[in-house]
Amino acid sequence: MFYSEQKKQITTYNRRTFFLFLLKLSLFSAVGWRMYNIQILDSSKYKTLSKKNQIDLEIIFPLRGKIFDRNNILIAENEKVYDVYLIPENTKSINNTLNSLSKFIDIDFAKRRKIIELTSKVKKFEKIKIFENISWSILEKIETNKYNLEGIFIAEDHLRVYPYKEVFSHLLGYISKPNQTELSLPFISKMPDLDIGKEGLEKSFNPLLVGKAGQREIEVNSKGRIIREISKVDSIQGGELSLSVDLRIQEYAINLLKSYRAGSINVINIKNGEILCMASTPTYDANKIIKKPNKEYWESILSNSLSPLTNRSLQGLYSPGSTFKMIVAIAALKYGVINSNSTHSCSGKIEFGDRLYHCWKTNGHGKMDVTDAIKQSCDVFFYETSKKIGIDKIAKVAQDFGLGQIFDISMPNQKKGIIPSKKWKKTTLGESWYAGETLISGIGQGFVLTSPFQLAVMTSIIASNGKMIEPTIVKRKNVNFKTNTKYSKEIKIIKKAMFKVVNENKGTAFKSRLEDVKFAGKTGTSQVRSISLKERESDEFRKKEQEWKNRDHALFVGYIPYDDPQYAISVIIEHGGSGASTAAPIAKQVFNYIHKLDL
Amino acid sequence: MIFQKLKNLNYLLIFLLILLSFIGAAGLYSAADGSYQPWATKHLIRFYVFLLMAMVISIIDIKLIYKYSYVLFIISLLLLISVEIIGVLGKGATRWIRIFGLSIQPSELVKITIILSLAKFYNDIKFENIKKISYLFFPFLILITPFIFVVIQPDLGTSLSIIVLGIFILFFVGIRIWKFILGLILSVISIPIVLQFIKPYQRDRVISFLNPESDPLGQGYQLIQSKIALGSGGATGKGFLQGTQSYLEYLPEKQTDFIFTLIGEEFGFLGTIFIIALFILLIAVCYFISIKSFHSFGKILALGVASNIFIYVFMNIAMVSGLMPVVGIPLPLISYGGSVMLSIMISMGLVLNVDLNYNLKKLNNA
Repeated sequence: MFYSEQKKQITTYNRRTFFLFLLKLSLFSAVGWRMYNIQILDSSKYKTLSKKNQIDLEIIFPLRGKIFDRNNILIAENEKVYDVYLIPENTKSINNTLNSLSKFIDIDFAKRRKIIELTSKVKKFEKIKIFENISWSILEKIETNKYNLEGIFIAEDHLRVYPYKEVFSHLLGYISKPNQTELSLPFISKMPDLDIGKEGLEKSFNPLLVGKAGQREIEVNSKGRIIREISKVDSIQGGELSLSVDLRIQEYAINLLKSYRAGSINVINIKNGEILCMASTPTYDANKIIKKPNKEYWESILSNSLSPLTNRSLQGLYSPGSTFKMIVAIAALKYGVINSNSTHSCSGKIEFGDRLYHCWKTNGHGKMDVTDAIKQSCDVFFYETSKKIGIDKIAKVAQDFGLGQIFDISMPNQKKGIIPSKKWKKTTLGESWYAGETLISGIGQGFVLTSPFQLAVMTSIIASNGKMIEPTIVKRKNVNFKTNTKYSKEIKIIKKAMFKVVNENKGTAFKSRLEDVKFAGKTGTSQVRSISLKERESDEFRKKEQEWKNRDHALFVGYIPYDDPQYAISVIIEHGGSGASTAAPIAKQVFNYIHKLDL
Repeated sequence: MIFQKLKNLNYLLIFLLILLSFIGAAGLYSAADGSYQPWATKHLIRFYVFLLMAMVISIIDIKLIYKYSYVLFIISLLLLISVEIIGVLGKGATRWIRIFGLSIQPSELVKITIILSLAKFYNDIKFENIKKISYLFFPFLILITPFIFVVIQPDLGTSLSIIVLGIFILFFVGIRIWKFILGLILSVISIPIVLQFIKPYQRDRVISFLNPESDPLGQGYQLIQSKIALGSGGATGKGFLQGTQSYLEYLPEKQTDFIFTLIGEEFGFLGTIFIIALFILLIAVCYFISIKSFHSFGKILALGVASNIFIYVFMNIAMVSGLMPVVGIPLPLISYGGSVMLSIMISMGLVLNVDLNYNLKKLNNA
């Protein structure tokens, strides 16, 4: 019984082993037959397919987003240009092709060597860009002769163009190929050949402006010719950006500044914080940086000692001079060191410690209250006043009015400047504060350094009775800024004085007043070198034409109209002489222009 | 004793393994554009380490393996489940677990322990009981439990091969054919339920298999590229390192699932038939060992391993030649990948062991 069971089992095993092996063998035969079909019978079909069948993936670069001024005028756009490409594989000899091409376009020895070097680095069927942005006449010549130009073809590209050239360069910046560190940014890494923003708003708004790349899968034959398009995902153009800046004012300001070597004009709409103008000279033409070859232009910019790449409005630091006196006056009134009736007598100088501190008016102003001291910009009054307040309280008020600060306006590389305090000096210079330094700071000299834009913000805050103005470079709907009521009383007094600066006889900017719309302001003249006693005593000194770089900076801050302030301005002309003679007239012209525009 | 055993090893089987792994290394060398890095060297090192391990397995007392068959099954099942849990806790689906610096796919190991468990089970029961439906319950459990865990990974290829492997073994031990037909009908009825488990991308694979032109850039694209590469190889191939399709990166996973295509392009029909012939020989040797063995455990074990290898090879070649959907099954000993190599070499060690112990009359729990 047991034996027969086992025998039956063995029989089953053997039968089924045989059957299974047969099954597997036949299944293997099936795949073998399949291979025979593919590799022998249909081989010629697949061989031709394999020759043709190269599938390339092309990235379609997105168009960069446009940038507009506040009135929808294009200030950054993309222009169609044509580039010349070479496919080494399609030429019989690269040299021959280049020879034929050189009849239409200039190829010097260095360029030729560079092209040949490039061709040895890439795969034979890859295209190499050999000329960018060729002119129409060359394009025509190449197109009509393309049958004699093996391996050469022309493709469309887009070039970033700034129609107003140097007018917006500091604001917009420019674009260029990403560098090594920028290549690690996620949206850039996939498109190493795509230009990205390098400065200004092009840089800070790059994620918005850059757009989304598309891609195209194409089947190409061995010659690189496209047989068919397999799939295409269109690229998406970058988003648009509308600035708060007004082209007309910006252009007007740049043109005014062109009469001087270097300077900056900033206009802020006090009601909503919009920056209407941020002009800085010398400037540069971003188009010339983008258009290759740009080596010569770069070198001329970099060798210019006035550094045209610097946006003076945000990156230039100057002693604010007498424009700082509003801060000192507010601090003094606030902390009860003076009241609106307190007076000091100005004899042209005071002695403090073992030093003499001079007023700009050698013979003195006589008896001065705070309003007069601002109106006539009396230095002695502010020496006396700041001596009593102390530097730390002045610094506190300066901070409250936007000085020493960086603004959230998407502009890279802003400079903070210096608002000195005892602690600041200890930590940065490791020295203790001298009382004499308070006097110097009190007239906006010494350590105090501010950017022109900070002064414009300071003026906006004063003009708006202490509103916490948040400036913006992007067009903005209405906003309500919080009001800092801490200084309301003091600001009122200061504003009255600022009105008198422009509109009353003896006011330092009286000559620059406007009749149909009245503005208020404050002049400033900041020394760039100390004046020796001997020079001060000689009458010749003031008359003498100083060497340009030793001349004072001319400053003016102001707002218009005086009774319902709408726009604030800051003007600085580097080594422009006095604020009254140089900066105030410029502010007047800008205000007049804005007034006539009737925004 | 040990030397005696080593002397008696089936060196034809070992030679076939070495030959196949060298063909694999050559293919991987070509896939890396004529470089030993990153695959070929590692492939050979793995092979020799695992061959050593297979020889160790071959000289272990077969009674010990028999005794612990179910335990090994439970361990591999736990590994499989732990992958599932790690996958749930971690980010997304995973099929891998790292042990001793090696990425292991427990689903590969589980196939071996399924063979072991079924071999033990049918070794133990009386021949007349095989017919009884009630005795089908346990084998069914052994198959369906890992199957479910592999399906939800989701690994279409491996889950399919577990089922086919089970059918081969159950057929071999003498289950009646009508029961398979009934099982087929039952599973067809249950397809709607299974479809709920299948992820959209798997459904896409099946659809694209049925009509490759509908999705030339997805799965169908791979198939078209694979066929072009194979077909352009012709009768004798383009020559070693001369394949163009594969170099142009048209073939995804050319070092794993599509290595056969690459070899077919470079060595032509001769090369592909040669590889198929080698695998037939390998399977035939296993069959021979199965027939030779006196005990059911060894018979089932050797046949199960042969079937397992057959499933890999058939599915892979059918896949790259467009007879089957692209389900992600590698070619044993030739494709790059440590996990499959490990499981294949373990199973080869077991077959060598059966070969050494063919004359044992009967294995028992006693």
